[in-house]
Amino acid sequence: MADFAPSGEARPGAVSAAALGDDRLQRARLAHLGLASALSIMFIASLSVGATDVSLWTVASKVLSGEQLTLLEHTVFFDIRLPRTALGVVVGAGLAVSGVLMQGLFRNPLADPGLVGVSAGATFGAVAAIVLGGMLPVAVSTWVGAALIPTAAFVGAWVSMTVLYRVATRNGRTSVATMLLGGIAIGALVMAAVGMMVYVADDLQLRELTFWQLGSLTGASWPKLVFAMPAILIACGVGYYLAHGLNGLSLGEATAGHMGVNVQALKRVTILATAAATGAAVAVSGGIGFVGIVVPHLLRLATGPDHRPLLLNAALLGGALLLGADMIARVIVAPAELPIGIITALLGAPVFLWILLRNRAIVDL
Amino acid sequence: MTLHAEGISVVLGDKVILDAVDLIAPVGQVTAVCGPNGSGKSTLLRAVTGDIAHGGRVTLNGQDITALPPWVLSGTRGVLAQHTSLAFPFKVFEVVRMGLTAGTAATEPEIVPAALSRVGLGNYGDRFYHDLSGGEAQRVQLARVLAQIWYATDAGTPRWLFLDEPVASLDIAHQLAVMEIARSYAKQGGGVVAVMHDLNLTAMFADHMMLLKEGRVQAAGTPRDVMTDDILRTTYDCPVRVGVAPAGEVPWVLPHAAAS
Repeated sequence: MADFAPSGEARPGAVSAAALGDDRLQRARLAHLGLASALSIMFIASLSVGATDVSLWTVASKVLSGEQLTLLEHTVFFDIRLPRTALGVVVGAGLAVSGVLMQGLFRNPLADPGLVGVSAGATFGAVAAIVLGGMLPVAVSTWVGAALIPTAAFVGAWVSMTVLYRVATRNGRTSVATMLLGGIAIGALVMAAVGMMVYVADDLQLRELTFWQLGSLTGASWPKLVFAMPAILIACGVGYYLAHGLNGLSLGEATAGHMGVNVQALKRVTILATAAATGAAVAVSGGIGFVGIVVPHLLRLATGPDHRPLLLNAALLGGALLLGADMIARVIVAPAELPIGIITALLGAPVFLWILLRNRAIVDL
Repeated sequence: MTLHAEGISVVLGDKVILDAVDLIAPVGQVTAVCGPNGSGKSTLLRAVTGDIAHGGRVTLNGQDITALPPWVLSGTRGVLAQHTSLAFPFKVFEVVRMGLTAGTAATEPEIVPAALSRVGLGNYGDRFYHDLSGGEAQRVQLARVLAQIWYATDAGTPRWLFLDEPVASLDIAHQLAVMEIARSYAKQGGGVVAVMHDLNLTAMFADHMMLLKEGRVQAAGTPRDVMTDDILRTTYDCPVRVGVAPAGEVPWVLPHAAAS
């Protein structure tokens, strides 16, 4: 093989890779450890905090010593706090990862499923499943069972994301203004459809619907976890596999193609993975906004935009952040609780504005 | 082992951009594609790199490029576009590293600093790409493309460097440096095809050139054959005088106002 380095020129190696910017990769790897620890601490804290005075310590020591738990302890710990905490991790990871994937696909840090109508599409799917699910033939509804709502949420997210991508992208170039405005239009359209569903819903369905509009981990249960976890884990795994392609895509579709990325397949799979993560998160917890925009942005600032470490770190930080927000939601007005969507919006909306102001030139509004 | 493009036609809407253009680029040489604005130069490059749908057939080292998946093609040819945008705040080093394949990233990460040194930006690795000037950014993109196809041959099979107006945003020193890189790549056994506006640089560095006008081939051959007063005047609709460069061997083109 002919080495392109001309004769006489020093062979590479004189400059160490670490001196040239690899520090961010190392920092990102250190962040894996730091964020995994933070998530563990939040997990333990979330199991300990609540309106009822049941301490993790008491439960743990009783379980370890083989002592019988009281009914209250058992219910609070195993039926409420544990599934809620686990669901918080899964949903937070799902929202953050779908943010990373969507931003990579649209080549823009402002893309977020909650802001541009993708979560709204998932909400419509879930709401339509609740209201119209009763009209399905018994054979079908028995066969689909509890998977109906998550599946409908996935389809809703997928359809709205596909439409948005078609609207905002022309000849491989995404217009930021068209993406944001198109997202608003899709969101408005879908929420009108949700309004119609609410209008025709009966009282029992209305109570269930209210949950989606608030966005909350309140209804956490083991069956919900069983549906959400595989979809979000698969999306995270697939996302990790897509990371190299998404890095290439940040140089544009044509250049990504020159670098060996199968761009069409990358786009299709990214849309599917984003819809799976968003759909699963919305199906079990309603529309919790801004996690998908805050988490990736903070991580890019700290450890750089390389998608491979970013995706793993986003999953860890997303889980930790949502557990933190959930704890605040649970204790701030105890014994009542705030919808978690309010907390994430309070944290996230200013960050969104901050990104918008910093990137005014690329938004070109 | 050549790049062989036969009967390349591209039609956009009802406008014929390229009309049955043939391009043969041999290995070991720099082939330049020249012509006035809108003559179809960049479209021809995009057709032979497989970026746009076209009539005709393109073979690279004897293989039809439409039969090669992108990950195989990327091991055989690198493409430097006229403009490349970057979506996220990557550092220079990280942009060049994207050019490495999964294989070389693991076994030869030192290609990255070497490619940066090759374009004269050895100390720029830790800078943010968005802070660079247009010319520096273009050289970083060249380093990324070089990192992708660092060795000009792969087990005897030549690799190809496609350049779309590679010197457009560069000062004269860096124009020469980039063209030297192209020539050096060809000398190492690779093939180079460059879309060029600067006829004097083309005369200095190209072994072979083609002139396009309105989607058709106007002339092809060595710069000495192609660069004559008549051919250039009819191609560019501009009076020119071709002389001999002070260095002595290559043509030297001086456009002059019609009145003079």
